[in-house]
Amino acid sequence: MAAEIVLLFAWTIVIIALAFLACMFEDLESDTGSQSNPNSQVQLAPQVGYVHRFFNKAISGEPLSWCMYATTSGTIAWVLLKQGVTPLLAIPIGVLTGEALHVIFSTTAHVGRVSGQKRFQQPVYLDVLYGSLLPIAAFGFIGSLCITSIAYIQSNLGTLSGIPQLNHPFPFPLLCFIWGITVGAIGSSTGDIHYGTEREFQDRPFGEGKRVVYHGKITRYADCGIRRQHDIVSFCAKFGGPCTGLTFGSIILFENWRTLVGMMLGGYLPAAIGLSDTAALIGIGIGIAIVVLLLVVNMRLVRWARKTYGPFVGA
Amino acid sequence: MEPTILLIVLVCVILGGVLASLGVHLLPVGGAPAAMGTATGIATGAIMLMFGSALTGLFTAATVAMFSNSIVLVALSGAVGAMLMVSIIFLFANVTYIFGAGCVPVSGRVAVDPITKELQTPYKTPQTDGHGLPSVCLISGIIGGFIGGFGGALIYFALINYAKLEYAMAGVLAMGIILANAIIAAYNIRGTIEGFHDPKFRTTPKALLVCFVASLLCGIAIVLALTTGVITGGAV
Repeated sequence: MAAEIVLLFAWTIVIIALAFLACMFEDLESDTGSQSNPNSQVQLAPQVGYVHRFFNKAISGEPLSWCMYATTSGTIAWVLLKQGVTPLLAIPIGVLTGEALHVIFSTTAHVGRVSGQKRFQQPVYLDVLYGSLLPIAAFGFIGSLCITSIAYIQSNLGTLSGIPQLNHPFPFPLLCFIWGITVGAIGSSTGDIHYGTEREFQDRPFGEGKRVVYHGKITRYADCGIRRQHDIVSFCAKFGGPCTGLTFGSIILFENWRTLVGMMLGGYLPAAIGLSDTAALIGIGIGIAIVVLLLVVNMRLVRWARKTYGPFVGA
Repeated sequence: MEPTILLIVLVCVILGGVLASLGVHLLPVGGAPAAMGTATGIATGAIMLMFGSALTGLFTAATVAMFSNSIVLVALSGAVGAMLMVSIIFLFANVTYIFGAGCVPVSGRVAVDPITKELQTPYKTPQTDGHGLPSVCLISGIIGGFIGGFGGALIYFALINYAKLEYAMAGVLAMGIILANAIIAAYNIRGTIEGFHDPKFRTTPKALLVCFVASLLCGIAIVLALTTGVITGGAV
């Protein structure tokens, strides 16, 4: 196998590893700040008499907010790269700028939302505010750094592998935009379930969907003392976070792998010159096979759960 | 630019926009209630799920467009990319529901799964609108991802190969058109939808008509911009 192809696959593995970390830390950041879907319950709690010590940050939906951090990071890094700054410096500086925005929005979102609930006797706990900002920024930094690095590698994948024409046609900031939206959509779809269905209502029976009458009545007490966001992160980091990371990691793995294998088997690599419909066809064929396999696994999982857990037996 | 080419660009933009809207209606979307296991579907907005999956498809379509001139193959690459994205999300969402929260995936809108014929109501938690992603939602969602991804990649291909726009410009325009149509579809859905078996799916033709008009306007704007030289061809 040509050295260029080996390098191409090696860089793809780096991207996959970064993708796993990006989405895992995205989910942990959303758990730390209580962003996205489960936030609706944190927002509702004081209105049903459940005054709490949660961080209440819903800047926007996760896809849009993560798109903002990633695109800001990517754009600043891109400008610095154009000035000749090394990527090792340009990317972290870009990400730091994005995180500055993140922390500003987190502060205004939390203080604005909680002070708006004064009529429900919900205080603004300053220790909750100060104590949560650093983990939010830290998780956000790692997530954004990974997304920006993925975009940087993809936009220079060809150059790094010795086949310059394989650089992705989309510019670096646009790739940050795409992966920011995608990472947010995944974090919102997968990781939020563990926080929203399980951790947020842990004093309710396990194994059932959370009934409408429970809404707002969140679990406010921890193993010791009053529950705060840090207790949620440590719990979700054991299941919801890694699951979310695996989701994005698998998407990047299968998407890139099928395209690269198609290009290799179709004879497009390592020269990467001219056209090859065979390469496209093989990539499509592999993709369809993976989708069918995933569908079968998922349907069997549903059947297994129905058989093992059985019908609903509660009141 | 030749009128035939402009007409092809217009048709592709309209078709892509309408397909994106149809795709949104087929995705099982539960929004915020789904994150609490109070509604069936994926726990995010319809717009964001479609946008995220179509962008993943667009990423692959852009790569494939580098070595293929076939509109069908590039559009199919985008469609399979979007389909892969939603399939993986569905799998891990169900893993989280089943192993993280102990919930059985069940539909809240139908008593019997129209595909597997499995009973749904006995497994549903009272006072919820279902939870998780039952088999029918998986199939409907995968079809939705395919259609939406196909539409997005079709617009992108038309813009780079016929309108001869730069890659980034074509990508941004395709994303904008997908987003506009997804928002119209989300207005029609009004909250949550489970897929083709959901009674709300019957209102799809209305949304498709509106999306046709919206995409037509987008297409006319692109054609005008091309003919007046506001946006010009790039390095393709």
